[in-house]
Amino acid sequence: MRRIFAQAIKELTQLLRDKLAVALALLLPVILLLLQTTAISLTVKDLPIIVQDLDESQASQKLVDAFRESLSFHVASWPTDKQPEEAFASNKARGALIIPEEYGRKIARGEDATVQILVDASDGNTAQIISGDAQQIVRAYNAENAGATRPQPVNAAIRLWYNPSRSSQKFYGPGIYVLAMSLFPPLLATLAMSKEGEQKTILQVYVSNISAHEFLLGKIAAFMIVATGEAIIMMSILFLGFGLRFAGDPTPFLVATILYMFTVTTFGNMIGAAIPSQVAAMQAVALTGFLLVYMLSGLLFPVQNIPAAIRWISSLVWGRYYIEVVRDALLAGGGWPSVWPKVLAIGAIGTIFYTLAWRSMRRMQLKD
Amino acid sequence: MNKLRAFLGYRMRALIRKEFRQILRDRRLAISLILPPTLQLLLFGFALNATVSNLRLGVVDDSRTPESRELVATMTGSKSFQGAGTYLSVNEMSKKIADGNLEAGLVIPYDYARDLQRGRPATVQVMLNAMNSNTATIGEGYAQGVIATYNQTLAGEGIHAHFQEIAAPNVSRLGRVLIHPAYLYNPGLEPTWFIVTGILGVLLILNGSLISAAAIVKEREAGTLEQLLMSPASTTQIIVAKLFPLFVLLCMMGTLAVAIMRVVFGIPFRGNVLLVIAAAALCLLCGIAIGTFIATFTRSARQAQLTLFFVNPPLTSLSGAFTPVEAMPKWLQPVAQFNPIQHFGMISRGAMLKGSGIETLWPNFLALLAFTVVLVSLSIWRFRKQLS
Repeated sequence: MRRIFAQAIKELTQLLRDKLAVALALLLPVILLLLQTTAISLTVKDLPIIVQDLDESQASQKLVDAFRESLSFHVASWPTDKQPEEAFASNKARGALIIPEEYGRKIARGEDATVQILVDASDGNTAQIISGDAQQIVRAYNAENAGATRPQPVNAAIRLWYNPSRSSQKFYGPGIYVLAMSLFPPLLATLAMSKEGEQKTILQVYVSNISAHEFLLGKIAAFMIVATGEAIIMMSILFLGFGLRFAGDPTPFLVATILYMFTVTTFGNMIGAAIPSQVAAMQAVALTGFLLVYMLSGLLFPVQNIPAAIRWISSLVWGRYYIEVVRDALLAGGGWPSVWPKVLAIGAIGTIFYTLAWRSMRRMQLKD
Repeated sequence: MNKLRAFLGYRMRALIRKEFRQILRDRRLAISLILPPTLQLLLFGFALNATVSNLRLGVVDDSRTPESRELVATMTGSKSFQGAGTYLSVNEMSKKIADGNLEAGLVIPYDYARDLQRGRPATVQVMLNAMNSNTATIGEGYAQGVIATYNQTLAGEGIHAHFQEIAAPNVSRLGRVLIHPAYLYNPGLEPTWFIVTGILGVLLILNGSLISAAAIVKEREAGTLEQLLMSPASTTQIIVAKLFPLFVLLCMMGTLAVAIMRVVFGIPFRGNVLLVIAAAALCLLCGIAIGTFIATFTRSARQAQLTLFFVNPPLTSLSGAFTPVEAMPKWLQPVAQFNPIQHFGMISRGAMLKGSGIETLWPNFLALLAFTVVLVSLSIWRFRKQLS
């Protein structure tokens, strides 16, 4: 126990002397969290659209006004003699509402009139949002103008749960927190571990009377302390800056966080012990940590959208389980009944990493 | 002219040959030129998919009538939702939504069929897990759309007419507006087309900066920089010879990436591919310049890599490569204009998907060129200062 403690103190002292590494540990997570959480969003608002009103009647003006008043769009001016495609090509507009001739007359006669919305679909997701918003505007317009005489038989009352304001920051903020936790603590751990191999100070460890378990646990403990500091800083930003709160019982979150910090720092130590070169070990951790957690854990886009051929990989990605626990704690509030298998999975992956790291260290001898 | 010939003379050629050999002999550097970018492009393209479809829908049907079953069938029969079990109580279903086993729930009240038969409007409840704001926005549109279609079929079956008679006696009515969306450039709404065309810029800058920083710091770490300085070659010759092979090899990587986009992801090249290649070359130069600039401030490869962590993630997240710039907060959008990746994305999406030519893309080209000139001259200035 005393030796573990001494090893941890030594690790922290060494870290504090490296200014660049300290900045990486404390500053970068904050920058990343603030920047990414503010910048990442898929729900576009206030997009420019153009209107080609070939009817130019009072009725068509009324419809255009309905679009103009909505929060989803603003109407940009565009000369009627130019093609709407030109507006798309020069990024002046993302959609074009085209009202055909005879529109006003058809409406007045009580017939249905079709208008078209052309959408720039080079971004498929934005295109879907544009067409959904346009349809909603038209539905509301009909309900107000033609609807009094034609109420719909079935109405849907839509309830949005857990994030009723549909704030994308509340969704991506916890995700970026998990990304930072998956990237920086293991990065620091791997740097420290591979440095011992690179500069051969590992020999001093081998000749001392410290055991492999004590050596590993000391290193893990040191970087778990760093990770705790990072977690506290980032959680306070999420709470104070982005208005997140614990939605229910916070204990699963706390247990999962401790297990997750153990898992990621052990992962860093495992890679560092296997690759005795700081640059190579760093690249390995950055690549796996970033690629796996960023792309295969449902951080940005749902896991179900990943093609089945590679989706199985995501059930091995430790970050995936932690993201689900964090989102549950901060948004859904399901507590232990809904997240216990995920907490268990994090612990299991951590144990595997520890065993692997120990196996490559246990002989306490240079590899031949 | 003579000066130029002297500059590009045998010394230059010898230096360039030396750099090529040095890079290709370093197996790790050579591998990292090809493997990570290809892997990243493939993974990003396949895994990053914002499509909202087949939302798992749970049903609580308290009505248990042919009418209610028809509504359930309409909902689950659409491509937007898939049936994921029926539940006896709302409580039971909401637990499933909380656990993340369902994205949506439909609750049909016990008096649903009776209301419809009597011509009274019936309300069903749709719950959506709105944790993911994008899924919620699009899912809401889907639910409304499916119900609207269902209402029209009801009208066709005469239920609507019967209903209208009671609710709307002889008022002269205005016609309804029907809206018909048409998707240009990407009618299949293929999500990879947007992601992959943007990611290319991120890969060029990311790998360009990483590899050039590694190559330049290496010479300093090994202490062979002094030997180069002692040679009769001028500092400019040394710098150009140093960067040229990197540029050529990275361009090959870029071309490979463009080929993957065409062959694996089937992205159409509606405009001129040369525009994309030219923009990619400028982007690469930006990346090389960033890497070189950072390498001149650092003493070891480890330091250079750590410093790049401070540059590349912010550059990536403000690039509009993964998510549209229009979705960023209004005050942040102008900042993205100072990002070469953002302009590259405009060019590659414009030229590949929309078939735009230089006449519409020139402002982006100009901006990209300006960044390249500024960054390259800044890094050469730093490099020269260090060499002398």
